[in-house]
Formats: sequence, C-alpha cells, structure tokens
Amino acid sequence: MKAVRLVAVAWWLQLKMRSRSAFDGLLSLLYPMFFATTIFMMFRHGGAAGPALLSAAVGSSAMGIWSAVSTTAAFALQTERRQGTLELLVLSPQPFALLLVPLTLSMATIGAYSMAATLLWGRFAFGIDIAIADPVAFVLSVIVTVFAIAMLGMLIAISSIRYRSAWALGAALEMPVWLICGFLVAISDLPSWVRPLSAVLAPTWGVAAMRAAATGRSPWADLAYCLLTAAGYGVVAVLVSRVMVHSARARATLALT
Amino acid sequence: MNSLRIFFVGGLTSYRALFGWLSPWILVPTFLFTPLFQILLFVYIGRTAGVNDDRFFLIGNAVVNAAVPCLFAMGNTIEGERSAGTLPLLIASPAKRLPLFLGRALPVILNGFLVAVFALVTGTLLLRVDLPPATWGGIAVAIAACSVSCTGLGLLGAAIALRVRQTAVMSNIVLGILIVFAGVNVPLAAMPGWMQEVARWLPMTHGIAATHDLAAGQRLGDVAGALLAELALGAFYAALGLVLLRWLEWESRLKASLDMA
Amino acid sequence: MGGPVIQVDGLARTFRTGRGLFRRSSREIEAVKGVSFAVERGELFGLLGPNGAGKTTTIKMLITLLLPTSGQARVLGHDVVKQARDVRRKVGYVFGGDRGLYERLSGLDNLRYFAELYGVSPRESKQRVGELLELVGLTGREKERVEGYSRGMRQRLHIARGLLHRPEVLFLDEPSIGIDPVGARELRATVKHLVDAGTTVLLTTHYMFEADELCDRIAVIARGRIVALDTPAELKKQVTTGSVLEVDVFGLPDGLVDRVRAEPNVQSVVVDVRGQAQVLTVHAQPGTDVTQAVMGHLEGSRYGRVVTREPTLEDAYIELVNAA
Repeated sequence: MKAVRLVAVAWWLQLKMRSRSAFDGLLSLLYPMFFATTIFMMFRHGGAAGPALLSAAVGSSAMGIWSAVSTTAAFALQTERRQGTLELLVLSPQPFALLLVPLTLSMATIGAYSMAATLLWGRFAFGIDIAIADPVAFVLSVIVTVFAIAMLGMLIAISSIRYRSAWALGAALEMPVWLICGFLVAISDLPSWVRPLSAVLAPTWGVAAMRAAATGRSPWADLAYCLLTAAGYGVVAVLVSRVMVHSARARATLALT
Repeated sequence: MNSLRIFFVGGLTSYRALFGWLSPWILVPTFLFTPLFQILLFVYIGRTAGVNDDRFFLIGNAVVNAAVPCLFAMGNTIEGERSAGTLPLLIASPAKRLPLFLGRALPVILNGFLVAVFALVTGTLLLRVDLPPATWGGIAVAIAACSVSCTGLGLLGAAIALRVRQTAVMSNIVLGILIVFAGVNVPLAAMPGWMQEVARWLPMTHGIAATHDLAAGQRLGDVAGALLAELALGAFYAALGLVLLRWLEWESRLKASLDMA
Repeated sequence: MGGPVIQVDGLARTFRTGRGLFRRSSREIEAVKGVSFAVERGELFGLLGPNGAGKTTTIKMLITLLLPTSGQARVLGHDVVKQARDVRRKVGYVFGGDRGLYERLSGLDNLRYFAELYGVSPRESKQRVGELLELVGLTGREKERVEGYSRGMRQRLHIARGLLHRPEVLFLDEPSIGIDPVGARELRATVKHLVDAGTTVLLTTHYMFEADELCDRIAVIARGRIVALDTPAELKKQVTTGSVLEVDVFGLPDGLVDRVRAEPNVQSVVVDVRGQAQVLTVHAQPGTDVTQAVMGHLEGSRYGRVVTREPTLEDAYIELVNAA
C-alpha cells in the first residue's frame, strides 16, 4: 500500500507542476483539437451521422490523451536530468519504475482534460450529439485508458534514461498509435498483419471499451484486456528499468556532465 | 558583407548546428516515418468517414510535409540562437536580413521538399494510387510553390519569434490552423463559406488545389493562376515579415524590448 | 557497533568520452585513481581538493550513483555496488548549487515529494517536514515556489531534504558554494549540530578554512589520488614553512635585508612595496621564532604594523597539491 500512496502523492504533485505552466498547458489542449476539428469535418463531408459520428467524436477526443504522453514521455527524464533531480530519483530506495508511473500518469491525466475539451468542442461547434449510453462505464473506461496509456508512455520514458535520442522515436509514435490502436479506424479495416500488433497495445482495448460504453455495448471484456496488457507493460518496465539504471550508473549518464 | 556568402555559408552552418546530433535514430523517425504515417492515418480515416479518395489525402498530407519545415525553419533558428546565447550577436551583425534568414531557411526548405517527394512516392506505391509520371513535373513545381509561400509566412513568424518567447507553441498553432483551413483533408468546396474566405489568404491552399488538378491530368498552364496566387501570398507575408523585423529591431534599440535570452 | 561506517579500498573510476559521428574516437579520463580511506561513526570527515580532483566522483560512487571501475567500498557494512538499495535507505545526499529541486512546486511540496520517495512513513511525514523546516530556518516561507528562492534558501531546503529519512550518514558535496558568508556560517553550525547528534558526515569542499574549522580528519585529494590524510592540526605540521613575520617598514635601511637573511632560523626574506610602506615578510624555519632577532635589527627604524601568523592549512594544502 506504500506503493499506492507513493504513486498517488507523486501523481498529484506532478500534476500540480505540469498544470502551472499556462502556455504549455494551452498547447496540449489546443493541438489535439485541431486534429479533431479536421476529423470532424472529414466525417461530416463523408455524411456520417448518429453512432458513427459519436464513435468518431469519442475516438478523436481520446487522441489527446496519447498526444499528451507521447510527446512528453521521452522528455520527462531529460527534464529531470536537467533539473538535477534524476539522481535524486535514482537515490530513492523505491524501485525506479514505480517512480516513473506518476510522471506519465500525470501527463495522461492532462490528456484527459484535452479529451473533455474536445468533446465539448464537438458538441458546441459541430453539433455532435454526445449522448453517452452508459456514463459510468464510460468514465471508468476513460480512467483505465488513461492508466494504460501512462504505462505505454512509461516504456518510452525508460528507454530515454539510457538512449538520449529516444525522444525522436517517442514523438514519431504519435500517429502510428492513433492509427494502429483504432482510435478512429476500426481494427477490422486495417491490413490483417497489423491486428496482432493492435491486440498487444493496451490503448486499443481502452478505446474500444470507451466506444462500447458510449454506444451502449458491453465494455467489460475490453476493459479486462486493457488492464491485462497494461499490467504486462508494468512488469516489462520494472525489469527493463533495472537494467537501464544499472547501465546509466556504469556510463555516468544520470547527470548532465 | 557578401549577401550570397551569408546566404549559403551561414545557412549551412546554422543547419548543421541545429542538427548537431546527426543520428539516424533521429533522422529516420522524423523525416521518413512520421510523414508517411500522417498520410496513412488520414487515408484510413477518410475511408472510415466514407470519403473514398485515397489520392486526395495522399497529396494533401504529402504537400504539408514540404511546407511545414519552411514555416518553422526560421523561427526555430531564432529559438536555437536564443538558447545558445548567440541571438544578440546575430541581431547586432550588419548582414542584410533577407539573405541572413533565407540562408538559414534554404537547407530546411530543400529538406522539406525531399521529404514530400519521398512521402508521395512511397505513398503511391503503398496505397496503389494512380499518379502517372507525366504529372510529376507539374506536381514538383506546385510543391515548390507551396514551400516558397510557406517560407514567406515563416519569415513573418521569425520576426514575431524575436518578440515572443513561445515560438514552439505559436508555430504549432499556425500548423494546426493550416491543417484545418488549407484544404489538406477536406476539399475547399466542402467547407463553410467563411472558412473558404480565410483559406484563400493562407499559404498552401492554392498550391494544394493546384496539385490536385495537376494529378487529375490538367497541365501546368491551367493551374498557373493558382500557383501565382501562392507565390504572391508568399511575397506578401515575406514583405510583412521584413517590415516587422526592421520595426522590431528599431524598437529594441529604443526600449530594449527584444527577448534576447 | 564497531568497524568504520565508510570503508573505501582502492576505489577507481574512469570515464570514456566519445567524439565524432562516423569515426568515433574516444578518450579515457581517470577521474579517481584508487583511493582508500575509512570514516568512523560520528566523525566529520573532509575531502578537500581543487576542482576536478575527483571529490564529486568519489562521493557519487559512495552513494551508489556511479559504478566504480575498480575497487570496493562499503557504507554501513553494505557494498555500494551489490547492496545499493540498503545503502540508499540509510544515507542522505546534499549538494550545492541551484539545481536538484522542483522549481514550480513550493518548498513544502518538494519536501513532501521527497519524503514519499525516501520512504518516510505517512504518519511521521508531516511532523518530520515541519521539524526540518524549522531546523533550517525556512518556516514561514515553505509555501512559496522554489523558483523564487535565493541560493541560500535552496541550500537550506537541500539540507532539509537530505535529512528527511534520518540518514545515518550524510554526504555533503560542496554545500557552501555560492553562499554568502552569513549563510555559510549558519550552514556550518547546522552541520556541527548534526555531528554532535550522532550523524556521520562526509564533506567535500575546496574551501580550506571550512575544512579546517569543521573536520575531524581531512583527506586531501588531488588529480584523483589522496595525497594526505590526517587531522587538520597534523596536516599543518607537515608544512615545511614555519611561522611568518610581517612588518611594515617606512624607510628600510641599507643592508637590513641581508643581515636578517643571515640570521639562523630565517628561511626566507621578501620585501614588497605596499603604498607608503615596505612590507618585510620573513619566513622562519619550522618550530622556531625569529621575531626577537628581526626586531632587534629594526632598532632605530620607523616601522608600523607587526604581524606574526602561524602556517595555515592553506599553506599545507598548496604544498601537498603542488607536490602531487
């Protein structure tokens, strides 16, 4: 339970820090909205309506959660390094992977704000009827997806402790994940060889659960898979971080100089 | 000071400085991977939305890749010089502003052009889109026109960057506006009237429309009007940028208002 | 509990730096070349050396942030490589400078965060944070954001942070760098307090007087090696110059300098001009006093200020470092 408290307190403080930079916050809210706007326009152009449009609205607003993480996850540790706090994190007797969870979780939480903003935008600017069939299940799905995306972001963050150019890879993954995890495009519409990859990515299940809850279908199986894959990432993260931190100590990459 | 020299040597050096960390791990994802995926993303979204025109999305998103670097190149240079502490040196130099900034933009513009071509070619092969070789020459010209006009807007952006700290935020907002308004993923005709009006004043709008026409088989002569409009817009923004630059520099000598550090 | 708290045997660390993209050439830098020492419980041990001597590298190896390239070290009986986690539970690390804190959070939030990180139990956390804020004199300013803190305040917050989990050993890396004299004095007082209360402290510094004032024993480190290890008093004795006599003379008589130089027990004589006066600086042989003899020669001359001073740690240090 100590672990839970640590993550909770650290998450809260990280959230405080991130939301204090007004301009950065504005960007992480606005940028996904531009994409969502284009997408709303595309759907309207194509004559979509009803559940298809709602699905698209949910998917495109969820894009913001991944944006928030993919763009900042790889920088997270670089920022800590520059601040001089990375060494202090490594010095903690707690496992390093545990300390990273609040970092990416807070990023994903800010992404959730973006999601809410985009849904409101869809409602008021495009007149999309945001009639969520099962609100409780929907909110739960959002929470689980936020968590799953945070875990995926953690894997990116960990690789950057050892590889300084990991940020480029992280930034480049923004759109592939949108595509492959079926945020907007049904997995069945993608080439068949992509499907195993989609299945292994936790956000796929989270987004599917969100869409199910919105359109009145059962989200529980999807949520279960989502938690399962996210937990898998956690295990990988713990193992990989041990190796990475050891390597960083050997090669003296924890500090700037 | 020899303007040509400022143009080429200064530009190349600045480019190398910006990409001092020249590693394939950064080049490949940024310049090859991302543009391609942007195309794939919108093609598939288009299909899901019921708009079954792969070529439309391919062209729009490929051209964006040529234009976007031009938009950011000079602003990023300013930002880079600022964080390296060399901005005051740049501003204090007697070099003529136009070749100074354009020189820094040129390598990036060429970069963007090559990325767009790569994206177009790869996209055509992957999606099995029909783009006959006869159209390639014209398309290249249209893409170049978009690059030029975006460079003009970029010069304006660079001038603003001297005053405003948050270059990255501003640049991304401009990019967002362009993606929404310039007819990249939605044809102009399908947009509400007021959006079309705004679009007419933005770079890329005319150029992208021209590229679509060229791909459909029209000749360069037919789209000349659109391309000229594109270039004219570029010149307009560039002129605005130079005026703003001169005014800001003058103001800074008066009030120390330029954000140098 | 017997046995030294910190035991270091032949600890060494080499850094490799790479240059170039295609033809990677690398250089090896031996930052620490095999140091050995032991620190007893409750001791205030100083690691004194110029910049680049290897002090920070040594400390980082001891607190498990760097892996040594060879040699061994044990802190509180735990090996720094194989039992890193056990070491981390019981040591605190405080370093000087502006970095190492979360700028956008308040001092209080910073401490809360690190309290969680370092495993302070929830029950104890609030009280402990309050206690430490008072100890370092930041009560009343803890709700302000760190970005507004002065260097001195940051340093104090660092110390509070380092002490949150009641470490048995505290490592201080150049803590008074860039601090004003008053702040530095308060810092030294706090450190002395901690040692009196039972904490073992290892301090690195390049300020001689700080090491002299605070430390029970000092290891002088230069170019990656320990060149001397002793108490400050013993180190001073190692200096080969004895006491120094300075006299401001107005109108030095001819031949006086030669006569003084000829005195037994006089090691060297130097004359400086400072304003109106000529300053006669006489270095005596170690353990001797030449004041009488020199003043005798100055009978009848006009002189002003007369100062004798003992060889300082600075003299010893410079000699030791230069010999390395």
